[in-house]
Amino acid sequence: MTEPEINTATGLVERYAAAFAAAVPSRLADDGYFGPASVTWRLAGDLSAPVAGLRSVLMQALHPLAMAGVDQHSDWRRDPVGRLAATATYTATVTYGDRAAADRAARRVRAIHEHVRGVDAVTGLPYAAGDPALLLWVHAALVDSVLAACELVGTPPTAADADRFVAEMAVAAELLGVPPPMIPASTAALGDYLAGVRPELCRTPAAAESMGYMLDPAGMGEEIAELWQDIRDAAVAALPGWARDLYGYPAPLPITPARRTEIRQTLGVFDAVFLGEPGVLEARQALTVRMRSARQE
Amino acid sequence: MRARARWLAAVAALAGASVAGLAVVRRRSLRVERGVAALRLAARGGVRYASNAPRLFATAGEHRQQLRNDLALQTAEDVAVTLGTMKGVLMKLGQMASYVDDGLTPAARRTLSRLQDSVPPMSPELAAQVVTQELGLPPERAFATWDPEPIAAASIGQVHRAITHDGRAVAVKVQYPGIAETIEADLGNVALLRRMLKITAPSQDVDALLAELRERITEELDYRREARNQQMFARYYDGHPTIYVPGIVGELSTRRVVTSELADGARFAELAGWSQAERDLAAETIYRFVFRSLYEGHAFNGDPHPGNYLFGGGGKVTFLDFGLVKHFTAEEMRPLAAMVKHLCVDDDPEGFRRAMVQAGFLIPDAPVSTPVVVEHMAVFYDTVRERGPRTMTGEYASAVTRRFFDFRSPLAAYARIPRSYVILQRINLGLFALLGELSATADWRGIAEEIWPFVQGPPCTPMGAAEAAWCSHRTAGMHHGPFG
Repeated sequence: MTEPEINTATGLVERYAAAFAAAVPSRLADDGYFGPASVTWRLAGDLSAPVAGLRSVLMQALHPLAMAGVDQHSDWRRDPVGRLAATATYTATVTYGDRAAADRAARRVRAIHEHVRGVDAVTGLPYAAGDPALLLWVHAALVDSVLAACELVGTPPTAADADRFVAEMAVAAELLGVPPPMIPASTAALGDYLAGVRPELCRTPAAAESMGYMLDPAGMGEEIAELWQDIRDAAVAALPGWARDLYGYPAPLPITPARRTEIRQTLGVFDAVFLGEPGVLEARQALTVRMRSARQE
Repeated sequence: MRARARWLAAVAALAGASVAGLAVVRRRSLRVERGVAALRLAARGGVRYASNAPRLFATAGEHRQQLRNDLALQTAEDVAVTLGTMKGVLMKLGQMASYVDDGLTPAARRTLSRLQDSVPPMSPELAAQVVTQELGLPPERAFATWDPEPIAAASIGQVHRAITHDGRAVAVKVQYPGIAETIEADLGNVALLRRMLKITAPSQDVDALLAELRERITEELDYRREARNQQMFARYYDGHPTIYVPGIVGELSTRRVVTSELADGARFAELAGWSQAERDLAAETIYRFVFRSLYEGHAFNGDPHPGNYLFGGGGKVTFLDFGLVKHFTAEEMRPLAAMVKHLCVDDDPEGFRRAMVQAGFLIPDAPVSTPVVVEHMAVFYDTVRERGPRTMTGEYASAVTRRFFDFRSPLAAYARIPRSYVILQRINLGLFALLGELSATADWRGIAEEIWPFVQGPPCTPMGAAEAAWCSHRTAGMHHGPFG
């Protein structure tokens, strides 16, 4: 095990913290693609965000072609934290950055996607990371996971706000090249999309391996591992039953109110660690002030 | 009405203005003429929320952020987001960081310090809601005058200035709404707390620390306890020549609100600019306060944070914040006193060792020779082993700290700190550090002998003589034995 793998959870917090702090602009050109009045900002700052992130990765890996792209073209085995941090950084920039920053980040990702092509060994199908169908899957898995995590262990949005969130997030898919008509703009449409894509999903060996690592990262300190277990339990419990079945995970214990409180307490500890990273407090305060003044308008 | 208008004008004029060097320590006079009180209030207003936060980290967080009204907690929900889900508990852990000084990992220290910075004040409306709930009247009616801007951060709350209907200038500490319930729930998750402590303070006795953490926090959630303690100290030191403890206004104090007299004085940082003679006197008062309270009152105010003192001239010190008071039973005190007596007065190393075992500091029959035990422990008694002037230094304070956490010493395997004495580490880590920062010189042994019940030595300084006179005028029965 190399150094970055020793403290996966903490390493990820550090790197995401740096990305978050850098993503919140100190000088505003504009409010970016979402802005302080958006549901997106509110949900992105929810305590449940780490659970959303993990659930999202678990979902995304179930598409064999998406997984093949990551497996064959990224060095996630050597630097899993770096791979996750790269995605998290991109998401933070698109969420909080001004439009120019978001556009720049999207251009960069699209350029990388140009080179991510190949043939999936499991299905024998060719793939390309720039394929709108794959991009849409990755997008939908994230949007669905934010809602599921908020619902289970966070502050759930109203049905109307959940719809608004799905609609707001469409622009993120568009930035990466998904044609707007393809993108779900309501929770109902999102549900239809997920149901439609299910037959294409399966657990490939690469998915099993990488997700096994995510759920039980090697080399974590015993205490951190126990904290991680709460996040993991929540993420697995937040998965749809069919996704758990594909992985072969046993049905999770129900998240009782007491268990939910425990998980939230662990999330609070992670949030405290996150806040302790340089620049995070200032960035969060800047967002709070902007969201408050947007609410008053 | 006109008085109020004038007062507000005075506040407006002076708030934010620097009042460095101002050292009006108000003593004794409970009732002051309202106009005078107003001026004092106004003067205190110069000390801003940010720079004037008592009860923060003793060591970590002197850099609290500027008062940010735009970030103020506006609702109980804001409080829950900021301080719920373990964050309030972690903050309190940070306040206890001085106990575990060297035990904290640097990352943990940084995180806990930043967490402290992350808590903005309550909005004036939210603070007023709490006062209304607790006192049954909105603050403008519960008090003759109420300053909606907080002057200081406090333990899970903030401090406002006010004038009571009978003209007393007071400091009103207001607790964040809902915080007590949140923290109580979080303290229930013992498994998580234990994990956190193992991560943040890996070298410490986690279970002892956890028990201490839970007990202290639970106590602090109920301000009535603090009010009782402060009133006890105030009554005990009533009329003392240099020690002043602001009295509590009982009828304006509840579980979540505590009202005490407002005191003025120079802050610790200003003391650095005073003459060494003045600093020595201030140090002497603090030293007398700590050990007189301990030996006579069997009580220890476990928070020797620099923010908890206000200084007048001539050694006059006002002691603030009694949220962390530990009361010792006679049984707990006896071996502590016996240790001092055997080592410093009787020169009886074996007796010292027996007392250590009795107190639970050393396991019985530890395979370590008594000279080694004495050699290891002597540093803690260094300042009181011999008569004559000695200067407290930062180096001494660090040496004591290092010894305390020295896990490689031959004694380490056999030494423990029983839970009821954990807080006494604050004498080593807080008091000595404070006196060291003042480079204070005094005949500490001579002063200690005045206070030690097993010596009852004669006054060895002018302050000692004034204190002796104060003692002799005290009501019979109050002098010896625990407070209250």
